[in-house]
Amino acid sequence: MIAKLLLRPSIHHPRMVLGLILVLTIAAGLQFPKIKIDTDPENMLPADEEVRLVHSAIKEEFGLHDFLVVGIVDDQTVFTPEILERVQRITDALYDIDGVIVDDILAPSEVDDIQPQEGGGIRVQTLMESVPETDAEAQVVLAQIKSNPILKGKLASEDGKALAIFIPLESKDVAMEVGRKIQELIDADHGDEQYFLAGQPVAQDTFGAAMFSQMAYSAPAAFVLIFLLMLYFFRKPMVVLAPMLLAIVTVVWTMGLLIGMGYTVHIMSSMIPIFLIPIAVLNSIHILSSIHAHYHRKGSVEDTLEHTVNDLFLPMAFTSLTTIVGFASLVATPIPPVQVFGAFVALGVFFAWILSMVFIPAYAMVLPQGMLASFAQRRDDHAAAPGRLFAIYRFSRRFRVALLVGLGLLMVVAGYGVSQIVVNDNPVNWFKPGSPLRVADRVMNEHIAGTYLAYLSLSGDEDQAFLDPEWMRWADELQTSLFEEPNVGGVSSVVDVLKKVQYELLDRAPGSNQLAGSREKIAQYLFLYEMSGGSPDDLFKFITPGQNSINLWIQMHQGDNQRVSEVIQGVEEFVRDHPMPEGMNLRWGGLSYINVEWQNLMVSGMGKALAGSYVVVLLMMIALFRSFRLGVLAMVPLTATILLIYGYVGFSGRNYDMPIAVLSSLSLGLSIDFAIHFLQRTRDIFRREDEDFERAMIVFFDEPANALLRNIVVIALGFLPMFFATLVPYVTVGMFFFAIMLVSGSATFLTMPAALSFFPARTISGRARSES
Amino acid sequence: MKRSFVLFLMMIVVSGVGVAGIAGAQTPDATELMKTAHLNMYYPGDDGVAKVDMRITDKRGKTRTRKFVILRKDWEEGGEQRYYVYFFEPNDVRRTTFMAWKNPDADDSRWIYIPALDLVKPISANDKKSSFVGSDFSYEDVSGRPWTDDVHTFLKEEELDGHPTYVIESKPKKKDYFARKLTWIDKDSSLILREEYYDSKDRLQKVFETLEIKVIDGITTAVKRRMSTPKKKNVTELSFGDISYNVGIDAKVFSERFLKSPPREYIQE
Repeated sequence: MIAKLLLRPSIHHPRMVLGLILVLTIAAGLQFPKIKIDTDPENMLPADEEVRLVHSAIKEEFGLHDFLVVGIVDDQTVFTPEILERVQRITDALYDIDGVIVDDILAPSEVDDIQPQEGGGIRVQTLMESVPETDAEAQVVLAQIKSNPILKGKLASEDGKALAIFIPLESKDVAMEVGRKIQELIDADHGDEQYFLAGQPVAQDTFGAAMFSQMAYSAPAAFVLIFLLMLYFFRKPMVVLAPMLLAIVTVVWTMGLLIGMGYTVHIMSSMIPIFLIPIAVLNSIHILSSIHAHYHRKGSVEDTLEHTVNDLFLPMAFTSLTTIVGFASLVATPIPPVQVFGAFVALGVFFAWILSMVFIPAYAMVLPQGMLASFAQRRDDHAAAPGRLFAIYRFSRRFRVALLVGLGLLMVVAGYGVSQIVVNDNPVNWFKPGSPLRVADRVMNEHIAGTYLAYLSLSGDEDQAFLDPEWMRWADELQTSLFEEPNVGGVSSVVDVLKKVQYELLDRAPGSNQLAGSREKIAQYLFLYEMSGGSPDDLFKFITPGQNSINLWIQMHQGDNQRVSEVIQGVEEFVRDHPMPEGMNLRWGGLSYINVEWQNLMVSGMGKALAGSYVVVLLMMIALFRSFRLGVLAMVPLTATILLIYGYVGFSGRNYDMPIAVLSSLSLGLSIDFAIHFLQRTRDIFRREDEDFERAMIVFFDEPANALLRNIVVIALGFLPMFFATLVPYVTVGMFFFAIMLVSGSATFLTMPAALSFFPARTISGRARSES
Repeated sequence: MKRSFVLFLMMIVVSGVGVAGIAGAQTPDATELMKTAHLNMYYPGDDGVAKVDMRITDKRGKTRTRKFVILRKDWEEGGEQRYYVYFFEPNDVRRTTFMAWKNPDADDSRWIYIPALDLVKPISANDKKSSFVGSDFSYEDVSGRPWTDDVHTFLKEEELDGHPTYVIESKPKKKDYFARKLTWIDKDSSLILREEYYDSKDRLQKVFETLEIKVIDGITTAVKRRMSTPKKKNVTELSFGDISYNVGIDAKVFSERFLKSPPREYIQE
């Protein structure tokens, strides 16, 4: 038997086995310093994914970078000499920071404005050449921003209460440094106005830091709590230490391998330890419970271990395999961080399974002789009187029809809830509502045109395609239709430049603020812009030097994928009603768009992964019990758990986001476990007890049920500290563990005996199998 | 004893090389060198006509071309001068003309004729920072930065691509877009062969180079010039062709009227 083979080295050479495990653990631990954190949301998609390639191409083509945004808000107005002086000082300080792309800073003292010139003509010059000395002059700056369609709503709010500095960074690594410098300046000198830091680079930096602190806090907190709960159940610290060491070894092996193989630690993979600790402990609880119950009857450590492993090998193999299937199915999703997460949790579950068969016995062998004896339960009579938990069976048996019908109804209602699920994600919402970043995000989006950027690039193959007035007019109409989308706060493009040049050139004559109708005018206005002091680089953010591509900057107030999708749909509808000129291509870029894309991939990917692993688990159950009916029955608690949890998500209006999606695999992997233990061990006992169901239940609702109950309590309570985590995905995981334990535990305890009582003895005992 | 003797010998050798190299006992007058070079670069003859081919190449190797004829007349050597520019390319801006009255002591005055509107309009831009027609050259780079704006120091002599040169360091008298500039002046032609502009953190901002020198009408001329912006990996090359000096351009040409109807004797389609 495999079980015996597995057990042999641990029983005969326990020290060698423990030594080998120690060496492997040290080797894995040595990989930890190589850890690389990845907080780039773009990496939710593979680097060669079409969307990312297009996004990078657009960024490269128009010289775009991720912005850090400094928001300055005042109840009255930020357009006063004092505040503008401080804005100027902050802007000046940026010149001394390496990694800031100073040429592309958007600030009053940096951006160009197209202004009329005395005697006619235009002048492109810095919006704020020098800091105004009077309030009136300061208000002129605001008036100029408001009369410039490119700056309006972007650089300042219409009411003048908010101003934004957009700071493009070469890489997000400098975001911290920039933030620190600005904070220093603000601390040294500020008035009543408030300052906010926002933007993608800050979010990523903050997120990376928060991830580290969560890893350092959440996993150990759960670990300590689980240890204390185990101690409560089993009393002996030296014995309880075994599963805890097993959990540590599992985590170190898995994370060491992940880091050593060069994978980056992403938000999901940072949570691997949190997933592995409870899963690793689960098997140990069964083993300890069994030792606890049987040691005195067997007399020797070896016999007890053999009995335990014999009893538990099959259920543990299947609970581990189903969990592995659940997580391994994530490899089928097209999202690399989720793939890595799934693969390594699956691997970790495998490690935990092997270790529970090898490490725990070896550990038991080296414990001092008296230790196990004092740990074990003293009871000689074998399941004569029903234990306390037998009441659960009685309840389940008495109300079996009501319970089964009730569960059925509940699942139907939950199924409706599932259909109500709203798929939506916004990585900013991974921070808790009160966090400075969320506050900055909210305040900034109340005032300015929006901090969520998407790029819409229109292009043709021929150089100067956009000198064609038809093409330009189409872009103009598209831009106008975008403005009608409620989530869109601002759109700017080369069309605005053309209109503004003509408007000022024709002395703001009525009707001049519109798109020029001839190729020559378009070409010459652009040329004039460059002749009048306009920076070519500023122009190239909107139109390529070859004039074959233009770029619409879309600013949105809300970054929720749902809201962004509406904007994308709006554009699709526009294109349907207004066919694009022949030869024109439309491409989307920008992080907000990428988020929508990976969400779509994730939803369909997770659907397939879940469906696939559900079928695999069902087949495994049918194979395990050699019975179609028992196999289906085993799936009931799991199905109920997934339906109830996701039904709740649907009813409560919570967004179905990436963490919630990924957790379906956890639900699948964990919820099946209780059913496996219940059915497999009931079958074993049923055979031993001469196929007397009532007696079998008395035995089951003793030690085995105790072990299951301990599992429920340990896992559900062990994750309470995560309810207080600062990152929302961690909170979500904690709540899921709690919910999975609660729902699948009670579904198993309450409905499985009820259902099984309807089954003929032949099915329960699986007569085809030979007696053990 | 011995050491100080060696030092003494070295001093003699060094000062000897210096005397031989400068052909005079004193260090050269940096300001004077810069003035001469400036006049040679930007005020050759009393007037001049040239066809200019401008190629702006960005970091991806994409090239934009501008072709124009440029007329120049000096009102005062080293002082006021006027430019007239007629654009042939890009195609859709053909017939656009541009005029600048350069005044070293005040802002320049500029006008442009926009054919699509048949309108002459004054334009103005910050001379120092603003790019000239989207190139790496600013308006100031095209017409020359007055040597009187900076304080010049002679640094050393150096051979540059086979030319013996003086290297001069210049610092703006008033705070400006650059903090320091190095200039290599050709000893033979007194033309500027190279300029490097550095910002306040001593990072290289832009580089000017003379790529080709020709003698035209007896005047040594930098006929191919390049300005590069290393940070942006952007390069602009100017090639001057069909150059003639002292052709006696009528002062009237530099007026608004001629912007609409170009002087055909200098500008053939």
